[in-house]
Amino acid sequence: MIIEIISLILLWFGIYYIVSLSLNMEFGYAGIPNFGKALSVLVGAIAVGGILDRLLILYFGVGGDFITGTTYATSMLNDLIASNPIVGIGILILAIILASILGFIVGAIFILPSAKLKEDYLGVTLLAISEAVFLICMYNLNIIGGYYGISTPDILAFVPGEYRGWAFTGIVLFIAFLVYLFFERLLNTPFGRVLRAMRENEDTVKAFGRDIMMLRIKTMAIGSAIGAIAGALYSLYTVNIIANAFTRVEWTFFPFLMVLLGGKGNNKGVALGVLCYVVVKVLLDVYKYNLKYTLNIPFEPVWLSYMLFGVLMLLILYYKPSGLIPEKPIITPPMKKKIMEISNK
Amino acid sequence: MILEGAIIYSNLLVLLALGLTLTYITTNVPNFAQGSYAIVGSYVALTLLKLFDINPYLSLPVLFVVGAVVGLITYLALKPLLKRGASVEILMIATLAIDLILLGAIGAYSEILSQIVGSTQAKFVFANLDFTLFGFKGILFVSTFVIILLLIGLYLLLYKTKFGIALRASMENPSLAQTMGIDVEKTRLFSWILSGALACVAGGLLPFMQEIVPSTGDLIIISIFAASIVGGLRHISGALIGGYIIGLSESLITYYLSQAFGTGFLVYGKVISLIIMILTLLIAPYGITGVDWRKVKKMLFTS
Amino acid sequence: MIKVKNLNAGYGKLQILFDVNAKIEKGKITTVVGPNGSGKSTFLKTLFGLTKIYSGEIIFKDKNIAKVPPHQKARMKIAYLPQTNNVFANLTVEENLKIAGYVLDKDKVKERIEIALNVFPELKDVLKRKAGTLSGGQRQFLAMGMALVRDAEVLMLDEPTAQLSPKLAEVIFEKIIEMRDEFGLTILLVEQNAKRALEISDNGYMFVSGRVAFEGTAEELLNHEKFKEYSLGITAI
Ligand SMILES: Nc1ncnc2c1ncn2[C@@H]1O[C@H](COP(=O)(O)OP(=O)(O)O)[C@@H](O)[C@H]1O
Ligand SMILES: [Mg+2]
Repeated sequence: MIIEIISLILLWFGIYYIVSLSLNMEFGYAGIPNFGKALSVLVGAIAVGGILDRLLILYFGVGGDFITGTTYATSMLNDLIASNPIVGIGILILAIILASILGFIVGAIFILPSAKLKEDYLGVTLLAISEAVFLICMYNLNIIGGYYGISTPDILAFVPGEYRGWAFTGIVLFIAFLVYLFFERLLNTPFGRVLRAMRENEDTVKAFGRDIMMLRIKTMAIGSAIGAIAGALYSLYTVNIIANAFTRVEWTFFPFLMVLLGGKGNNKGVALGVLCYVVVKVLLDVYKYNLKYTLNIPFEPVWLSYMLFGVLMLLILYYKPSGLIPEKPIITPPMKKKIMEISNK
Repeated sequence: MILEGAIIYSNLLVLLALGLTLTYITTNVPNFAQGSYAIVGSYVALTLLKLFDINPYLSLPVLFVVGAVVGLITYLALKPLLKRGASVEILMIATLAIDLILLGAIGAYSEILSQIVGSTQAKFVFANLDFTLFGFKGILFVSTFVIILLLIGLYLLLYKTKFGIALRASMENPSLAQTMGIDVEKTRLFSWILSGALACVAGGLLPFMQEIVPSTGDLIIISIFAASIVGGLRHISGALIGGYIIGLSESLITYYLSQAFGTGFLVYGKVISLIIMILTLLIAPYGITGVDWRKVKKMLFTS
Repeated sequence: MIKVKNLNAGYGKLQILFDVNAKIEKGKITTVVGPNGSGKSTFLKTLFGLTKIYSGEIIFKDKNIAKVPPHQKARMKIAYLPQTNNVFANLTVEENLKIAGYVLDKDKVKERIEIALNVFPELKDVLKRKAGTLSGGQRQFLAMGMALVRDAEVLMLDEPTAQLSPKLAEVIFEKIIEMRDEFGLTILLVEQNAKRALEISDNGYMFVSGRVAFEGTAEELLNHEKFKEYSLGITAI
């Protein structure tokens, strides 16, 4: 039991860390209030459910409607994977590539209407776009099966059931680590520093001849591509997609909570924020009915968790606005030299 | 028939957008919890109906008071952040948090109520309770009556009372208002109270035209923001104009689209609001009431 | 009337005023001059409570009012006219005058509006117009009229003649003198047009970089070497 819980915590840590890292670049570094973060995760699900599944249906020549089609196509593929692990890994890589390309494009387009907007209008617009796409995906069953749901391939069909969870957790953590390295490199380049400068003062950035819009587009394209990877991994992990799972609360609000809890602008702090949230989330998930019956709560514990996390967010904003591990000042190599010089004297 | 629904929807949207605009003007907070305020009202009305057999129309005054309290509490929760001079992003995150707390509370309450009543109350409508007059739904008259009452009330308040003039003065230039001896804090408090009250009243009427679930607030918030932004977030009248533009186009355009392409199109209502909102932001970032019409005229005549 | 002792103030963490001492005498015109950005406006704002005060006292009628919030200062009969946006553009002239008397009772407001309109008869014809549609001069008249309505004892004016023609500026200066002589108002004036302002003043202060550089009677200041240089633009002090 305890082993399973740890595996779950690590899995969710990996998935949410990927999302939070991308949000941290957008919001923590670049100052873009991306209240539409959930969209990028949903795009990952669309890459798997809407594109990859369709390719499979075509490949296996399955007839009939889309939703049942996915069931047949994925079970045919799973048989293949069970006998040949390479196929599973190939499908995983294909899914990640599809998701990041689609995420990149959607992210770049998503931010376009914001060309002339101030932070508040920008935040509202991003939220509204994300919510509208979510509603369409939910009620239009032809995209990713809507509220009805579709199957996705089990890339680990070759792994015995009792080890599948751990194996998947390993994959997710490995990818999360790669994403972390990617962002650490990216954000320590001049690009990363320009992003922070843009957050502090757009005019200075303009004065240096950098196009704000281009910076925003790049940021959101990269951020959404990464968010989409998390969405694809989640969709592959659960071996099915139900549109209801991609809500604003799960994939926008909670990532914001994790980023702010950990400390925005600091990728290590964000890791701590994600871990804190994920531990509470998984324990609540696993023990919710024990909680319900021992405390005699007359309603579903999910409502209680909403209230708790909402209050937690307010408390962070009141008392720890810069998070558990606040952002460090940027130290460029020339500055480092200077500091060394001074401290040597 | 379809126009009837469109007008009812627009009326309710005006009530909700007005509150959003009001608090944005006085405190600069884009309030994502506005939609959930309404649902609080819906459930209070449901409770009064189920437990005390009170017709939802008659419970509107109660909803007004309940909403006022919800608005007040929201403001008090935001106040430490406002005092600190928190950025608008942080304020938005705070209202998202408050929205989530409200959603949790409504959801929990709906299940408690179900147990008390003995049947599930997670989904409900009031449409079956409505009366008809001259072949029209009662809600058409009631919602229109509420709007007229509100407009007269607002007019009298804003133009005929000292507090109202002070309110308009504070909205335009709070620091100058302070130099006149106006306690701007009071006007902020007032705007949040009124905003909550109007939203809850709208929420009491909403179940007459659509099914309510605890998360309905998250659905209507898009239309509310669209209405306020299209009308212009800087003028109270913007909420009125925007409410009707978004309400009518959302209902009518989706209706005609679904006539032409099948009922699948009914889900695209929110997309219509969204497109109108984005177009407005691109053409006139401050909405219809923010356009300098004299300039536009000049441009048209010179070109 | 007002005594300022060792005042340090600014915006947030940015200190602008350093150790300012000043005395504003009852029934007289005191003028603050100084180069752009020297903290003149900040000084007025600070007296009215619109900036952050780190230390120091503002004594008004034997009480330290450094911590009194602005809307209560208005009730203490102190009026402040900001440099820009000093009327409510979306309100009519009449509403502006009414709101100026927000802290007074109804009959008193009527009486005061009457008085203000006598001093500024130019406003009588435009009572129903929105203040945003007025000319620069009319707007300044309205702003000063509003100060009269408030029945203030102390009137703080931030560059009331900025962006007005010399002719209109002269009218404004005359009105300021009238407000002192007819109504016994204590006036604290900040002016770009330093020479003309000091000519109508009783006392003067010269600010440089947020500190008081010179003080004295208006005449002393006018004849001060440095002031002459400054107003001729020879030295940027
Ligand atoms: N609201 C403000 N926030 C921060 N700094 C300000 C603000 N207003 C003025 N300053 C700064 O305070 C200094 C003094 O300004 P001010 O008092 O307006 O000077 P003056 O009126 O003498 O021209 C200037 O350097 C200005 O940039
Ligand atoms: Mg100035």
